[in-house]
Amino acid sequence: MDQMLSRQDLMRKIQELSFCAVELNLFLDTHPSDAQALQDYSYVLKELQQLKQNYNQKYGPLLGFGEAYVSGNYWKWVAEDEKWPWEGDMVF
Amino acid sequence: MITPNIEQYLKHESAPKLAQAYIPIQMYRNLFNVNEALYHGTIFRELFQPYKPSHPLKF
Repeated sequence: MDQMLSRQDLMRKIQELSFCAVELNLFLDTHPSDAQALQDYSYVLKELQQLKQNYNQKYGPLLGFGEAYVSGNYWKWVAEDEKWPWEGDMVF
Repeated sequence: MITPNIEQYLKHESAPKLAQAYIPIQMYRNLFNVNEALYHGTIFRELFQPYKPSHPLKF
């Protein structure tokens, strides 16, 4: 289903899930053995990783520091005249 | 002596009292959906307390 998302929608989902990951991380600092929170946290991380992989495959890297999950085509951003996420392309 | 004697000061009847803070244990409940949380700034509905000024803010 995620394969059908537009670039902007995919980025938004990544941002939304990243925020949930931060929140759950903070909650687990004070509630390290909350089973439901732990379960949700691992679910969110798994989903997030999947979404980031999809983004990397379809649209290129999310960060400009070599952290892309998918190898290859590193220099695409030099050749193409477009903005990348870290250049302020995705400000909603 | 310039530095006040803190022991003497705290014995005075109008001296401030020590504070006692109590915060209830947060429960894992009433979560926002993933697509709502980011826009509320929290995943917990119970922590969503938007600031509503009693009169319009002037800038």
